[in-house]
Amino acid sequence: MVDDDQSVRRGLGRLFKSAGYAAETFASAEDYLAREIFEGPICLVLDVRMPGLNGLGLQETLEKRGACEQIVFITGHGDVSTATQAMKSGAIDFLTKPFDDVELIEAVKLAFERAKEQLHKRGERREARGRIEKLTPREFEVLRFVIMGLLNKQIAAELHTAEKTIKVHRGRVMQKLRVTSVPDLVRVSQRAGVSPAHNPHKTKIN
Amino acid sequence: MKTLATALGLTGLDSRSKTQRTDAQFFEWRVVGIALCVFVGYYLGAKIGFALTLRPHPVSVLWPPNSILLAALLLTPVRVWWVILLAAFPAHLAAQLQSNVPPAMILCWFISNSCEALIGAGCVRYLIDRPVRFDRLGNVGIFIFFAAFLGPFLSSFVDAAFVAINHFGGDSYWQVWRIRFTSNILAALTLVPLIVTWVADGIAWLWKIRQARFLEAALLLIALLSVNTIVFYKLGSSADSALLCLPVPFLIWAAVRFGSRGASAAICTLTFLAIWSAGHGYGPFSTRSAEENALSIQMFLIVMSVPLLLLAAVIEERGKGAMTLREREDRISLAAESANLVFWSINFERKESWMSDKGRAIFNFGPDEPLSRELFLSRVHPEDRDAVDEAIEHARVESQTFEIEYRLLRPDGDIRWLISRGRYLRNDRGGIRELIGVAIDITAQVKADLQLGLQREEMVRMSRVSSMGELTASLAHELNQPLTAIASNAAAGRRLLAQGSPDPKMFEELLADVAMDARRAGDIIHGIHHFVRKGEGTRCRVNLNEIVREVLRLLHSDLLGRGTAVETELAPNLPSVDADPVQLQQVLLNLLMNSLEAMNDTSAASRRVVISTTCEPNSSVAVSVRDYGSGLPADDADKVFTHFYSTKPNGMGMGLTIVRSIVEAHGGKLRAENVDEGARFFFTLPVTRKSETREVA
Repeated sequence: MVDDDQSVRRGLGRLFKSAGYAAETFASAEDYLAREIFEGPICLVLDVRMPGLNGLGLQETLEKRGACEQIVFITGHGDVSTATQAMKSGAIDFLTKPFDDVELIEAVKLAFERAKEQLHKRGERREARGRIEKLTPREFEVLRFVIMGLLNKQIAAELHTAEKTIKVHRGRVMQKLRVTSVPDLVRVSQRAGVSPAHNPHKTKIN
Repeated sequence: MKTLATALGLTGLDSRSKTQRTDAQFFEWRVVGIALCVFVGYYLGAKIGFALTLRPHPVSVLWPPNSILLAALLLTPVRVWWVILLAAFPAHLAAQLQSNVPPAMILCWFISNSCEALIGAGCVRYLIDRPVRFDRLGNVGIFIFFAAFLGPFLSSFVDAAFVAINHFGGDSYWQVWRIRFTSNILAALTLVPLIVTWVADGIAWLWKIRQARFLEAALLLIALLSVNTIVFYKLGSSADSALLCLPVPFLIWAAVRFGSRGASAAICTLTFLAIWSAGHGYGPFSTRSAEENALSIQMFLIVMSVPLLLLAAVIEERGKGAMTLREREDRISLAAESANLVFWSINFERKESWMSDKGRAIFNFGPDEPLSRELFLSRVHPEDRDAVDEAIEHARVESQTFEIEYRLLRPDGDIRWLISRGRYLRNDRGGIRELIGVAIDITAQVKADLQLGLQREEMVRMSRVSSMGELTASLAHELNQPLTAIASNAAAGRRLLAQGSPDPKMFEELLADVAMDARRAGDIIHGIHHFVRKGEGTRCRVNLNEIVREVLRLLHSDLLGRGTAVETELAPNLPSVDADPVQLQQVLLNLLMNSLEAMNDTSAASRRVVISTTCEPNSSVAVSVRDYGSGLPADDADKVFTHFYSTKPNGMGMGLTIVRSIVEAHGGKLRAENVDEGARFFFTLPVTRKSETREVA
């Protein structure tokens, strides 16, 4: 949690500990950014008003860094525009001090769930990417046509090669991505964020 | 310089008319009337003159025409004198032609008579700078010498010469001169005052006279006539000449009680009865030859009338003086009353004291209570008594004027503020003769000043309250911090208890934190309350660095919200100043808010305020607030301190005015100037003086 007020940090730290969380406190956004990145699920409880980089600024920075912290904002006085901006940028909740502890703990719990979910998704993606990275460029090209739904013959026409060659490539892709069916292939590709190939020569799919 | 012409011409006119229009009217109507009066008077006067001739002597004892002419000239402006002379001429002819006198002689007599009147009237007019009256000793003296003596004296030479040239009568030159001289003196002394005093002011005054005065006048007239009749008729020619003095008490009565009018009338009565009785062979003036008798009568009457006229003038002058004095006193006392002024004096030599009535009322002295320093001090407020006594004593010893401001404590508990100024006067031997002074009641003024001070104080406070209003959001935030901490700690405690594993050490820390945060919240509220409550204006020794820190604490949240960095450059070992800490906080708060608002359009990265405190060489301390904002109006930086000047859309424009008034009330100065990329406000306050420091320490 990040708050410039020591009392708040101590009080909240104690509350989180009593609720069974491992709480780490920071006096400023800069302090938090200086910490080495933690790989596990993180819920960031952030004060809006702080000297230096404020809460919203930190949120923005973290987003750019591509981290997966889930943020719960707490503020001395919440105005609508700040709250809206925070929520749009993906904050879990926006609480006005002093708040009900149950409310905060609920928000934190939700944040952790989201964080775990996100971490899981990220893990899958990373794993799928790892598999795709093993493909040769030619195999990757074939994959993109496959998930587009083209038949071997059509792919061969696109790539100006024999249908047979495509069949071999396809077999290797299935093998390297450890899938047995095209739907599985599509799912792994989606997780890894591979997009289908364009249709440069306007080949008729059917 | 006064020329004869202007003196004669203008003074005569001024007495009756101020403008040309009234001057013209004077010519049209009054001149005709006066001319007619002069004609008739001159003619009748000549007739009376003939009647008052002691036979067989040819010269009249009293010759009225010359005096009537003189009186007419004295009463009229110089520029119409020719009309008077012209009117007298036919009367002169008409009267004289009946008496077998050669025409040449008649003409000559007119010339000499006119000469006499012109000499007398001219001199009197020249010397008396106002309408001729017989109410002043100086005026009467001038009249007696120039009109009654010099005129006849000079003209008689001419007259006697004319008689000699015309070979008229058998008397020698000096005889003629002597006879004419005395008879004309008598006429001038008797008739001119009578005519001038009774004619000049009209008869309007008659209606204002009380009945008792009329009765007294009638009684006096009867007494005078009776006494004169007894003296001049009943007593034989052999009677004791001392009895001639019998009318004197009555003449003095007339002069004392009725002034110049009474005196001239009484003299006239005496004159006519004396001459008439002598002419008919009665009384003390009928024993010798006609010429000798005439001379005796003339001498007697001249001697009687001169002192009487002078006495009447003195009496009138004194009466007028007394009246003027009374009027002046009335005016002064009116002025004193309207200015709440009190006059007083204590004469130590005569053991007398005096104080104006209003003063006695203010000081609560009895109407005849003798004044003294002790009595005065007993009325002074006990707290001021010693200082007042000291000031008076100092003035007594040093022979200086004292001026003291003090309060009076009245029996009903009412307090009045007064300023007294007084001085000891010393006699020729250097001893103290008198203590005189004035006092002025300034209670109303003092109350108004106090009221004004209260109003100013209230305005300053209202401005404080309103700046607090602007800070509400920040203050709420500030107050929320400890409350959040308390709430969090409480919740944590409850959870830990519910989990059944309370660690005593941790609980103790938790509760200590709760207590500390509660105190912190209390301090914030106390600070707000202190800031907005009615200040007693108590001044104490204040460290400006401390004030800066307190204000920054108060503004903490607001600064965070605005994303503004505040840098402080506080001088170590800053000397303290004598000030009202709350008002200084207000000054700094207003300056800071002003700077923050000036930076609304400044990019977030360069929003910065620098507050610095410095020791100035001229034993003062300076505080400067520098911002990187829009700056001051270029044409006149000081304009920001004027009432109702504001660049903000909803600003009242009072903030900086109040700031300046507070700084100046503390004996300091507030300035504003443009600096690179912004503005700088700075104020100086005088450092607490060493002696005071020691006292406090």
